[in-house]
Amino acid sequence: MLAELELLYRTRLPQFRRVAAAISGDRDAGRDIVQDAFATAIRKRRSYRGRGSLEGWLWAIVVNAARDARRRRREHDVEPPETAAEERRNGAVPLDLLTDRQREIVFLHYYADLDYAAIADALAISPGTVGATLTAARQTLRGALEEVRT
Amino acid sequence: MNTMLDEHVRPFDDPADWADVLRRAGRRRRVRRPVLVAVAAACAVFAVAPALAVLLRDNGVGLPGAADRSNVAVVLQPLTGRVLVQVAPWKGHDGFCYAVLRVRAGCVPHKARGTVALWPPLMGWTFEPGVRSGVATTIGGKSVRLTVVHFGGRIDATFFLVRDRIPRFLRDVTLRDAGGKVVARVDMRKVRSRA
Repeated sequence: MLAELELLYRTRLPQFRRVAAAISGDRDAGRDIVQDAFATAIRKRRSYRGRGSLEGWLWAIVVNAARDARRRRREHDVEPPETAAEERRNGAVPLDLLTDRQREIVFLHYYADLDYAAIADALAISPGTVGATLTAARQTLRGALEEVRT
Repeated sequence: MNTMLDEHVRPFDDPADWADVLRRAGRRRRVRRPVLVAVAAACAVFAVAPALAVLLRDNGVGLPGAADRSNVAVVLQPLTGRVLVQVAPWKGHDGFCYAVLRVRAGCVPHKARGTVALWPPLMGWTFEPGVRSGVATTIGGKSVRLTVVHFGGRIDATFFLVRDRIPRFLRDVTLRDAGGKVVARVDMRKVRSRA
């Protein structure tokens, strides 16, 4: 199993790091989160029961760690975060308009190229919920981007 | 939207650092280790001198200096987390370096094709492609399943070892592919013990 974890690490590292950075909101933390997540997976590999894919189990660990990092960041943030309106004026993606769940699904879909079933596996939700959430997130983002253009 | 998401978090292109993951995985155990060593050392001092000598010898054999330590792969004992085998690319050579249970170490060029088994402890490697499983058979006919791990990249070899205790007198080691076909067989009666 250690060899499988290493293979997963070596083949999917950029995607893991990108999703971790996106969810935590901190690029540098993204690297650290993934290193720690794989270390956790090694320590707890006996708890992997083979339900769902190994990659799905890893994604769940990475997403949870990234959520924790984001939460800690929010708690310690003294500067007011840039508002969605300001972000849009600056040409950024107005991701603050999305819920945390929508953001996670968008990141897993776009950055890790996971299909609905794999995202469902990682987030312990149904593939139908993934599809509906992704559609809602796209509509929100499209609406916001069109608002900027007009 | 894809373009904007691409810019939101740019792709990462930093190199992988699996050795760092392994260090982090072993961090908790390492913190406790000095305490354990101190307690064990104290016991040894109060017991007999040879016991202390055994403790000091525990530093044992590590990876050779020629190993590329930035890219070390390991095989762990599942229950204890003990490092059984360390393997790393051989710096400046086409091959790999290994250390087994801190008692044996060396470097092997890729041009040395075929299968090599060492004993004791039972461990070896093969350059034969497609090896998925292995069995060691004792003189008495008992079979013991081997752990088989393939390391790709610059190591590019398949390692096999026995994780538990095994009877001393081995007859052979047989390696098979995914379909159960024998890929390699080593007659262990011809392998000289190098303990």
